[in-house]
Amino acid sequence: MKKSMGTLLAVLLATGTLAGCGGGGNGAASPSGASEPAGTSAAGENGGEKVTITYWRHDNEAEVKALKQLIASFQAKYPNVTVKMEVIPYADYETKIRTALAGGKAPDVMGIDGPFVASYAHQDAIVPLDDYFAQNGDLDDITAPVRESLTYKDKIWAAPLNDASVAMFYNKKLFEDKGIPLPSQNPEEAWTWEQVRDAAAKINDPAHKIYGWDPAWGLGPGEGSAFVKMTYLWQAGAEILSPDGQTAKGYLDSAEAKKALTFFGGLYNDSKVAPKELPPEAFESGKLGIAMNGPWFLPVLQNNFKNFKDWAVAPLWKDAKQVTPMGSWNMAITKQSKHPREAWEFVNWVTGKEGAKVWYEVTKNLPARLSVADAFPELKEYPLNIWVKQSSTYAKPRPVSPAYPAISKAITDLFEDVTLKKGNVDDAVNRAVEKIDKALSSVK
Amino acid sequence: MRRNRGAGGAGRYAFRLQEERAAYAFIFPAVACLLLFTFYPMIDAVVVSFKDFNLINPQADFVGFGNYKELFADRAFWDSLLHSFHFAIVVIPAQTAIALGLALLVRRSTRLSGLFRTVYFLPVVIAVGVASTVFRLLYNQDVGLFNALLKLLGLPQVSFLSDPGVAMYGVMILGMWKSAGFFMIIFLAGLNNIPKTIYEAAEVDGASRPRMFFHITLPLLRRTLAFVVVITTMDAIKISGPVFILTNGGPAGSTTTATYFIVQEAFDQMRMGYASAAAMVLFAIVLAISVLQMRAFRTDVEY
Repeated sequence: MKKSMGTLLAVLLATGTLAGCGGGGNGAASPSGASEPAGTSAAGENGGEKVTITYWRHDNEAEVKALKQLIASFQAKYPNVTVKMEVIPYADYETKIRTALAGGKAPDVMGIDGPFVASYAHQDAIVPLDDYFAQNGDLDDITAPVRESLTYKDKIWAAPLNDASVAMFYNKKLFEDKGIPLPSQNPEEAWTWEQVRDAAAKINDPAHKIYGWDPAWGLGPGEGSAFVKMTYLWQAGAEILSPDGQTAKGYLDSAEAKKALTFFGGLYNDSKVAPKELPPEAFESGKLGIAMNGPWFLPVLQNNFKNFKDWAVAPLWKDAKQVTPMGSWNMAITKQSKHPREAWEFVNWVTGKEGAKVWYEVTKNLPARLSVADAFPELKEYPLNIWVKQSSTYAKPRPVSPAYPAISKAITDLFEDVTLKKGNVDDAVNRAVEKIDKALSSVK
Repeated sequence: MRRNRGAGGAGRYAFRLQEERAAYAFIFPAVACLLLFTFYPMIDAVVVSFKDFNLINPQADFVGFGNYKELFADRAFWDSLLHSFHFAIVVIPAQTAIALGLALLVRRSTRLSGLFRTVYFLPVVIAVGVASTVFRLLYNQDVGLFNALLKLLGLPQVSFLSDPGVAMYGVMILGMWKSAGFFMIIFLAGLNNIPKTIYEAAEVDGASRPRMFFHITLPLLRRTLAFVVVITTMDAIKISGPVFILTNGGPAGSTTTATYFIVQEAFDQMRMGYASAAAMVLFAIVLAISVLQMRAFRTDVEY
């Protein structure tokens, strides 16, 4: 009797605990993990000893497929090293990796979005890779803008998987219907803002649900939004931060920046060629004249919208300067890794000259390595040549600063302010400068 | 009687002790979970709120009231509180009235009332993410159902998601659609607790239906109403789920509620200390309002 009661209790306890804690344990950092000494053991002398490298990244079908291939070949070459890859849904990725870092449970290798490299480096969460690159990383093979975007305090902190760039996509049929001459495919002959706006004005017909131009992936927050909106400031000739990265005052509030913001807001409020809200898949369904997108959009169009054939690609528009956005996902080694040597061999296997070729073949992402751009003839032809040329010649990295999260938010807020609140551009700019400078002063 | 005479007080005491032990064993899982996953993080958050705590760097210095001082000067935080209160002030009376109305409608058991109860409750069991994604499409200016209906009625089109002056109402409609059914069930339970005899007596006295509602139903629902209003208030001030998927806090920050602000600061900006301070302020506000509401709804009516 007593015994069976005890068993019952034990079962109840177990199930009760599980039921009661369901959800609560999700993502909560265990307090015990924080006390573990991080990355102090002597690595690199493990020789034949079995080593497991953990690698976290966000979900992406083609990229995960490429990685599975590369991990298999890596493990065949280094039989003593096992790579455990954990794929995390994109929306949860940053939160999960940050919580794990705080709790001392970080993986050896982490996927890292370019502009956050400085934040992680500043907080001592990742290690510099200069010595490793010097040994066998072929650093010179990586395009200059990518190298610059991963360099903080004169050190390089991550290895790029690929680059990214955006070009102008337009609907040929809508152009021809209105008798608008088509833009050149030559990356050296980009249209100006005004040319694009005039074409958009002719196409724009909201009464029939045809819209002219989506100038920068809609309005709204998020890194993608900031990624494309910053280019308007740069194209007008403005900068976001001072060259030493210490202030936005005198840069983001320059006349050039205000000109860019006034032009951008005007697209929504004066000429009204840009809609504040678009139907889903507007470009793919022929309802949008001009958009911007990257090479990753090509397979989407070819596979998911087979019947839509009216699209064409032209170089991204320009103003005083021709500038294109750049930067994508990279691999970094965490400070908490106990096997940084093996971690580097894995990172280099994936991002090195040979790995990058496999990566391109499977993912079709814009290469960050010059040797890969040379190895595939398709990258020298339309339309891919446009992005390749842009990424090596006109690309500009986002500010490399540990205050980047605040800068990114200030920029998207600023563009929303001047577009939706229709307030004074000067006031909006001053608020953004104030926010950025406050964040900069707190990371000094 | 016979049993007691033989066993005496000692046996009874042992039995009670055993009962008590079993009781503690039964509540242990819940208490352990509460301590570990609710109280420990809460106390930890209080400590963190006094630190200059960066999310990815556990080494942090105490900054005293620094976070709180900065918070009180932060326009964005006050705006986010204002948005939360805007949501609450509209949703609490509207949603409570809708829930009570629905409960009264499906109260009588007819052949169809079961069906309607289920239908009204359905939104509650739909995941927030799914509901928000669907509403995103329904709200769309060009292809959305709501604007198609407005057009049919000859009314002007509304930009539910891209007009900063309107977006919050879009979130409110979704919030109420999602939660009203739950509180309908609570009201239904409350209504069924009111003795039929009281209504019968009123009927004999010749009371009209509205009179019965205002003089019997409402006063005797006071406790249920208190529960509903307090829970709705807490939910409303902490609204965040639909905001994440429907609007992302936009357009132009117009739907950035306090909870959304806290999550953004903690995980996007990595300012855990600052976000914890904001969470503490929000906690204090919700606590204060709940206490006041409990007082206001205190009742002596027994039945």
